[in-house]
Amino acid sequence: MSYPEPTLTETNRPLIEAWRRGELVLQHCAPCGHIIFFPRELCPKCWSTQLEWRKHSGRGRVVSHSRVYSHVTEPFASESPVTLAEIELEDGGAMLARVIESVISAQAESLPPVIPAQAGIQKAEIAPGAAVELVPMPDAARYSLPTFKLA
Amino acid sequence: MISRDVGIIGYGSAAYDKKPRQTLFGYIAEACRNALAHAGVRKFEVNGLAVDAALGGDTAVSTAEYLGLSLSWAYKSTAAGAGPIMSVVNAVRALDAGVADYVICVGAGAQDIAAFKKRIAQFTHAVSDYLAPHGYGGPPGMHAIIQKKHMARYGTTREQLGRIAVDQRANASRNEAALLRKPLTLDDYLNAKLVAEPLRLFDCVMPCSGAEAVVIGALDRAGGKGVRLLSACERHNHPLGEIAPVCGGWEVFRDQLFEEAGYGPRDMHFMNCYDDFPIMAAMQIEDLGFCAKGEVGRFLEENRLTHDGSFPFNTGGGQLSCGQAGGASGLLGVVEAARQIRGEGGERQVAGATRGIVSGYGMISYGHGLSASAVILEKA
Repeated sequence: MSYPEPTLTETNRPLIEAWRRGELVLQHCAPCGHIIFFPRELCPKCWSTQLEWRKHSGRGRVVSHSRVYSHVTEPFASESPVTLAEIELEDGGAMLARVIESVISAQAESLPPVIPAQAGIQKAEIAPGAAVELVPMPDAARYSLPTFKLA
Repeated sequence: MISRDVGIIGYGSAAYDKKPRQTLFGYIAEACRNALAHAGVRKFEVNGLAVDAALGGDTAVSTAEYLGLSLSWAYKSTAAGAGPIMSVVNAVRALDAGVADYVICVGAGAQDIAAFKKRIAQFTHAVSDYLAPHGYGGPPGMHAIIQKKHMARYGTTREQLGRIAVDQRANASRNEAALLRKPLTLDDYLNAKLVAEPLRLFDCVMPCSGAEAVVIGALDRAGGKGVRLLSACERHNHPLGEIAPVCGGWEVFRDQLFEEAGYGPRDMHFMNCYDDFPIMAAMQIEDLGFCAKGEVGRFLEENRLTHDGSFPFNTGGGQLSCGQAGGASGLLGVVEAARQIRGEGGERQVAGATRGIVSGYGMISYGHGLSASAVILEKA
């Protein structure tokens, strides 16, 4: 069963089409520099309609997150838990997005929350400040919106 | 004060159900009939109606068609759980301006689980296009992110927040209308089924069906039992542009709200807030000035929230114990406040209560509820 998809409009088409190539593009307001998410016809900060789509690295940090166990729709119920996070992007801007964790279990909540990356351990546990990056192609094609994994 | 002469003169509810036993209009009609009977106002006297409910293509006007009411004032709010408080406020203002004589403000919901699931996947354009495709898990997933941020920033614990759920359940044990009345211990709360880490079952309201209504009219019609609105405020989309803030619009208007009422937080005899999740109830305690920002954890440790406790809070059990009946949820606290101020609280009466605050929260969109409201009420 495939994931629900956003309604494709002329306004969000660049975001959706870039993500089909595994890339993240976001609207930047030309006059005021505000980075806009979710896509809009105007900058919510200064109301300019001069918006430019710019490519982002797709790297960022987790601000806060939750592993969601209780889902209202398939196919998420069968993939429970789904990790959802507020992500601050390194090139500016922020969004809520799914983070694919390599190790997930119902007991994970009781594990030590942070394993510092500098300790040389490859698999970091998701936590505030954890580094994330876009899921690369071809896996990215499974997801209908930009989706992240632990970096 | 908002009006010297106009206020709440009666209230009524439609009995709550885990599964709907009638249509949305059925629940609306039941609450309206009970509220009019309580107020001693007759149907033909009513010429104003405010509705808070997911009406689909219907409006306050087609609700009036169903109920057989001819109106000079019709209102449907836009702020979900923060809306019904402002429906009451705007009804009082409308009557004070002379545009109607008696208004019923009604909030209702009739939802089975399937209808609720469909609704939460489509709350707003931003939710359906940019959260539902991620499997965002509905309001619990979103509020889990908010709670985790509050815990990380201020050291708030689940043990502290659990006191809200536990004490409200104690209040509900004295409320026959509450759907959830079985005693709840802190251990039950802490060890319940995981919903969206760190939220567990008793952090989350149970969607249900039911309705609440109040009658607005001339206070001298209330036989000495009228309830006056001293001050009220609403704030939408604050803070601007923050996805999962640990504060809400209440912090913007708190000082104005109390100044206009002529009282401070300590003068309130009870507080009824919008408790879809304990973390949101806790944030309303902070943002409305009952403790400093970030200190609600200690506040909850130092107070009992029962009807006879040091901080009577959601004295009927709140949504967490009564159930969340759609548009009724934002009116539940107003009805309970009127009950307390009139001295009709029965086994859960707050001794000597003549004044209290009710706050609202709602309009879930991209990351949090966008709307906040509050009203201070006093015996007329």
